[in-house]
Amino acid sequence: MTGLPKQLLTTLCGLVCSLMIGTAAAEIVVVVSRDNPVDSLSRTELADIYLGRMDRFPNGDPAMPIDQAERSPAHDAFYNDYLGRSPAQIKAHWSRLIFTGRGQPPRSLKDGDTVAEFIADNPRAIGYVDRSMVGEQLRVVTIE
Amino acid sequence: MSSAPEQASRATVQGQERAGARGWLYRLTDPRVLFTGIAVFLLAVIWGTALNFAAKERTAATRTAGTLTEDVANTYEAQVVRALREIDHTLKLVRYELEDRPPGEVLEDLGANGLLLPGLLFTVSIVDADGDVVATNGDASGRNVAELDFFREARQADGMAVGLPRRDADTGEQRLHFARSSGSDGSGFPGVVMVSVHAGYFVSGYEPSLLGEQGVLGLVGTDGVFRARRTGDAVSAGEVIDYESLVADDGDGSARVRVNPWDGVRRYTVARKLFEFPVAIVVGLSRAEQLAAADQLARSYMWRAGAASVLALAVVALLGRLTWKLQWAHARVTEERIAHARRVEYLAYHDNLTDLPNRAFFSRLLTEKMQHARRYRKNLALLFLDLDRFKTINDSLGHDAGDELLQEMARRLRNAVRDSDTVARLGGDEFVILLPEVTSPAQVPPVAEKILAAVGKPFTLVGQEFRVTVSIGVTLYPDDGEDEQTLMKNADVAMYHAKEQGKNNFQFYSEELNADSLERLALESSLRNALERWEFRLFYQAKQSSSDGRITGMEALLRWEHPELGLIPPLQFIPLAEETGLIVPIGRWVVRSACRQNVAWQNEGFPPLSMAINLSARQFLDENLLDDIRSALRETGMDPRLLELEITESMIMRDMQQTIHILNDLKAMGVRVAIDDFGTGYSSLSTLKEFPLDTIKIDRSFTHDIVRSAEDKGLTDAVIAVGKSLSLTVVAEGVETAEQAEYLRSRSCDEFQGFYINEPLPPAEFAQLVRGKMR
Repeated sequence: MTGLPKQLLTTLCGLVCSLMIGTAAAEIVVVVSRDNPVDSLSRTELADIYLGRMDRFPNGDPAMPIDQAERSPAHDAFYNDYLGRSPAQIKAHWSRLIFTGRGQPPRSLKDGDTVAEFIADNPRAIGYVDRSMVGEQLRVVTIE
Repeated sequence: MSSAPEQASRATVQGQERAGARGWLYRLTDPRVLFTGIAVFLLAVIWGTALNFAAKERTAATRTAGTLTEDVANTYEAQVVRALREIDHTLKLVRYELEDRPPGEVLEDLGANGLLLPGLLFTVSIVDADGDVVATNGDASGRNVAELDFFREARQADGMAVGLPRRDADTGEQRLHFARSSGSDGSGFPGVVMVSVHAGYFVSGYEPSLLGEQGVLGLVGTDGVFRARRTGDAVSAGEVIDYESLVADDGDGSARVRVNPWDGVRRYTVARKLFEFPVAIVVGLSRAEQLAAADQLARSYMWRAGAASVLALAVVALLGRLTWKLQWAHARVTEERIAHARRVEYLAYHDNLTDLPNRAFFSRLLTEKMQHARRYRKNLALLFLDLDRFKTINDSLGHDAGDELLQEMARRLRNAVRDSDTVARLGGDEFVILLPEVTSPAQVPPVAEKILAAVGKPFTLVGQEFRVTVSIGVTLYPDDGEDEQTLMKNADVAMYHAKEQGKNNFQFYSEELNADSLERLALESSLRNALERWEFRLFYQAKQSSSDGRITGMEALLRWEHPELGLIPPLQFIPLAEETGLIVPIGRWVVRSACRQNVAWQNEGFPPLSMAINLSARQFLDENLLDDIRSALRETGMDPRLLELEITESMIMRDMQQTIHILNDLKAMGVRVAIDDFGTGYSSLSTLKEFPLDTIKIDRSFTHDIVRSAEDKGLTDAVIAVGKSLSLTVVAEGVETAEQAEYLRSRSCDEFQGFYINEPLPPAEFAQLVRGKMR
């Protein structure tokens, strides 16, 4: 794959997302700490980590998924864009897992800045923030 | 009536008895029974197996469903207990923290340390004593819950209050609230800590793979209100049910099938009250769903059993049909054989012309009936029948006509008697009728009369109407004979007596008859030898001209000079000779002797006297008649013109064509022909004209009464007139008195014959008479 179509796709996707959620917020990206060696994940791997089916990165390092607050635009956009699931589906999913004692939902932090901050301090953590919030300590993970 | 079928039926009865002895085994071999049995057995096996399998499947499925329900219930119970404990734990933790810190700080701190329940599902709130939410990790801030049930309950009771499901105004989902009071003992924040979670959480463990589409998972409060209930994907809450009836009788916690009142579905249901909390879990597995596989399997068993049944029935039916066909063919062969045997037996015992029992069969029947009559002291009557004119008809019309006559007679005889009477044909024109159970001889005459009437009715044969009569001899058993032979012989004797009595009548047997019969038998045997022994004599009776008394000729009359019995008149032996057929050789002798005598007298110089000879019916019909006469004339040298053959009126009427033919031949030879006993028959003038006749003779019966009876006078006059008109010579027979002679002379009768003038004389005396006249 060449860079141009990918860029175009990402731009288009972001545009569509922003239109859908009705805010000026731009593109949501998946990020890890700069200390984390992971630089790309497949969609399936990302979904597995976020839905509690996998607690490690593909390289074997422990993974700690971080959520933004429920019903926040970033939260809904992330699940919609990357996992293809609605908030209700996510809620039902975790509801079943928690009730049957088979897992705990990702830790939820109240906004993008908090998430960025937390991930910067935790090499095991993985989260999602608006591209504008990606700073020095964070690295965008390519989702294939 | 027939004993052959009786014997056959007796044999059948014996066969059935044997079959009865072998009983069921015999019936089993009947293909209908055998193959029906096999079919029933096969169907029983097939369906028995199928139903057994189906029942086993169902039992297994039932047991599995019960066990599964209990397993799910155990798991669910543990999950619910853990979930409630987590909630309660959180409530207690928050209350504990509230003892030291303000509400807002507590929640933030606990949340930051991950000590609160996941905010994704749970909302933890702190409410003050007035019901205002003072702190929350969700979006419940600013609400007041003072009026809500869990708040009040928590304020009043010590344990965890489990609130009624409540619809969330924002999301529309049912939420459950759990609350504990805090600071009630005076320490810490006075209020209530509460946790709310959507009701679906408690039923999110619903596994469609286990519970199906119609299973149920539920949490019901001891107040009877469902906190949460899920069936398939449908989650509900808030229905009120009869808690006691659902949970109370569920002592051992095992699953039982019941119709769930909330949705009417029949389920394997477990309802179990939790130990620590005022709630009970409800787990149900749809009976229909759990047994669907088993039912499906059972149905497939039924289908297979059905298919197997059809196949088995088809095979059995095919085999049965083949066997049945085989047996049928076999039975038919046997039947044909039996039928053939019966037919053979029937033919052996029946006359094939008339279909009546024959002599052999009748003999057997008679013996049987006699035995029967002897045993029960009863009487039998035996009627021996002989048709009177059969031989003549058979001879003159041919055998086919004779056969037809016999068949007709057989029919009439059978119709004339009752079914219980036996009619048999002994052969020829002899029939015999057996009347069983006759109590008195008086019963016989009506039957005999009836038979005579039946036989005597006219019938048409070869286009001519005929009338046949029968002579009947009757014997009674045991009076007239105690054995078959005697009985038959005596009946025969009685029959001959009837013949002698003028035929067309019946006669009972008597001892005297037997004596007569013996005489007759003796006569018959000696008659056979009479010709050889030269015992016959010819007498001659003169015929005289009525005008001048001149002897014109003579009539040869046969006499039998029996060595022991003396001279026997013709009436006594001629019928016998007719019957036995001896009449033909005797007649031949008569013609020859008469011719020879006539020639001898001519040679002596006698005038040309005519010689009249009587021909019997039998002789007249004999095919050698003409040859015999021709040769007699040739051998003796007799002048044919002097020979006059006398025949009776009834003889010429029998077959006119043949008669005319014979008469013409005689005429050609120059022989004269006279009609004897003219006037007794029914020949008309016109038919008489057809015949080439020379002479008619007035019967002696007319002549006899000619003086006294005006009728006979008239008849005689008429006969004479007829003869004159046809230019025939008219001769009066049996003239015995002068008055008769005078009358006839007055009527111009040509010639006389009779005792008045001349009695029949032996040749020598006759010659003297002629010589006397000549002088």
